[in-house]
Parts: sequence; structure tokens; C-alpha cells
Amino acid sequence: MSVTREELAAFADGQLDEPRRSEVAAEVAADPALATELGRHRALKQRLAAHFAPILGQPVPTGLSALLGGPEAKVVDFTAARQHRAARGFPRWGWIVGPALAASLALAVFLPQRTPEGYADPRLAAALDDQLVASQREGAPTRILLSFRKRGGQYCRAFSGAAHSGIACKDGTGWRVEAGAGGAAPEHGGYKMAGSPAAAIMAQAQDMAAGPALTADQEATARARGWR
Amino acid sequence: MLALLPRLRRFAAGLARDPADGDDLCQATVIRALEKRDLWQPGTRLDSWMMRMMRNIWIDESRARTRRGETFAAEDAGLSVGSSGGQEEAVTLGVIDRGLRTLPDEQREAVLLVVVEGYSYKEAAGIVGCPVGTLNSRLVRGRDALLAWLGDGV
Repeated sequence: MSVTREELAAFADGQLDEPRRSEVAAEVAADPALATELGRHRALKQRLAAHFAPILGQPVPTGLSALLGGPEAKVVDFTAARQHRAARGFPRWGWIVGPALAASLALAVFLPQRTPEGYADPRLAAALDDQLVASQREGAPTRILLSFRKRGGQYCRAFSGAAHSGIACKDGTGWRVEAGAGGAAPEHGGYKMAGSPAAAIMAQAQDMAAGPALTADQEATARARGWR
Repeated sequence: MLALLPRLRRFAAGLARDPADGDDLCQATVIRALEKRDLWQPGTRLDSWMMRMMRNIWIDESRARTRRGETFAAEDAGLSVGSSGGQEEAVTLGVIDRGLRTLPDEQREAVLLVVVEGYSYKEAAGIVGCPVGTLNSRLVRGRDALLAWLGDGV
């Protein structure tokens, strides 16, 4: 009786059912070549496991855990979630949504109609309001590239992120997206590779700006005044 | 879901073949899961549900990117697999990375789900959306290719 490669791999994975498992075990015991092959399968499994194991030990990037509120964030219940739980009695997960970033994500997801046409959604607006180029978090979903004043004195900020990239300028209504792909509904569930649009956006920013980009101090002052 | 993040990141890093792209993928998956959480059926495994979602997002994105002919540019450097290792270890880890890269997507995801994530063949087939026999043969082909790639170094 011979053992196929599929069977040997399944045996190595512990995925072979009886009685075949015992038969293969007997074959392996009797055949040194098979035993060597099995050893290679197991060694491969160990190497792959060891290769990816470090990721499990690394801290999750804050941008990612913040989507879910983070471990120490306060729990905010949504009515729907509460009803679900009451009705079904299963543990909550996604609606462990904390304040700050996660709350604004929830707004972006559930209340898209609140954002006026052409303006940054609440999540992006929060980043535009709060993040400073110099001190923004590594891995923040939206990265502010630079801030500047355009002709007329309005503050504008170039941003780049997984969901959208562009330039937004502050006016009486909010952050008006004036360039790039910003403000649009994210494609493919918000998954768009960032990076390549950044160069184009920087070029546009240069065209729009009335002067050089704000320094870190100027940026902090502008934020303190609400970018007005 | 929070507790699943490390595992989601691991699968994403393997799928996207790059840790930083993996984190982008992970983020997209979490956002979509939040959007679609009403579709998750209590009593079924949340991890499988999210892995399937991640895998589908990855495939959609790969196709879209191929169409657009875009190159990859990571938002930030992110984590680096094996970065803590010494020179020798780094070289060895590089061999695994390069070996995985040589595999077609369908074989790579089968190897990752079963060998790294520890799913049963049936569970992995459910995530990929193919018959168990198909999963099994993809897995064996992927494994054999990796074994051949690594040669006697396994």
C-alpha cells in the first residue's frame, strides 16, 4: 500500500482520519524514506510557524487598534449593538468602539449623509483638525503631509491615507476638499494603496500655496486658533 | 475582534507579502467587518469570517491593481518580519519570504491558512470558498514547491 503526497501532508498536519491515519503511521514506521519526507514536512511547518511568530508578539499598530477603540478605551454602546446582544446573548466585539478616532469612524460609517458635499468626512476632519505634521502618530490612518496658507489666507493641509489623499482647506463649513481623491466614499471598503498619490498632491500644494509650508510652531498656533 | 488583530496581521503579512501592505489590508478588513457586522452569524467563528473577508479584499485589490498597473507603495515602513534577528537569521528568514513569493496566490493562501494559522482543511476550504479536495491539492503543491525551494535546508 502506498502513501500519496496528499496523504503524507495531511498526516503531517494531523488532518488524516482513521483508519487511514494508523495505516499511514505504520507505513511511515516501516519506510525510512517516508519518515524522512514526513520529517521535512514537519520541519517546514515549524519554520513557517517560526517565521510568522514574531508578528503575534509585536504590538498592534495604534492606528489599527484605535479602529476598535483600543484596549483601554472607554466602551461606547450603540443601540443596535445593545439590541443584538440582548436578543442573542453573544459577546460584543466590533461595537467596542472608543471615543476619539473610533467614534468618528463610526460616524463616517453610519452617518455619511451628515457630511456636506465636497467636505471632509468626520474622520478625516478630525485628523485635519488635530494632527500636527511634527507629532503625528506612526501608522495613523491619515498622514498630514504639510500645512500651508493659500492666497486669501485660508489654511490648507495636504493629507495622505489609506482611504483617500488630497488637499483640504478650512472654511466656515469645515474642511473643504479642494484636490485629490478626498471626501469620496472609500473604494473597496476603504482599501486603497497610499503613497503614489503623495507626490502629485505635494505638487498641487506647491501650486496652491501663497508661501512656504508652515513650520511646526506656526502649525501649532494655527491649530490652537482652529485653523481660522 | 481586538484579540484577533495579531492573527489577522500575521495572515495579512503573508498574504500581502509585505508587512506594511499587510497592515493596510488588515485595516481595510477591520473597517469592512465593522460595516458588515450584522452579517456575521453568532455561533460561527469570527476569525474564519474575518480571514475570508480579508482574503476577498486582498483578491479584489490585487485584481484592481493589476488592471491599473499600479506599483505598490507602502504608507509607512510598518513592522519588519525577522528584523530582530542577526545577519544569519535574517538571511534564513529571507529564504522563506522569497519562497512564499514564488507561490501562486492560491497555493500561498492554502499554506498560510493550514500550516501557519492551523486551520483544518475543511475550515481553510470554507475560508477560500473551494472544495476540500482542491484545497488539499493546492496545499500539497505549495508545500512541495517550498520544500524544493528550501532544498536540504529544511
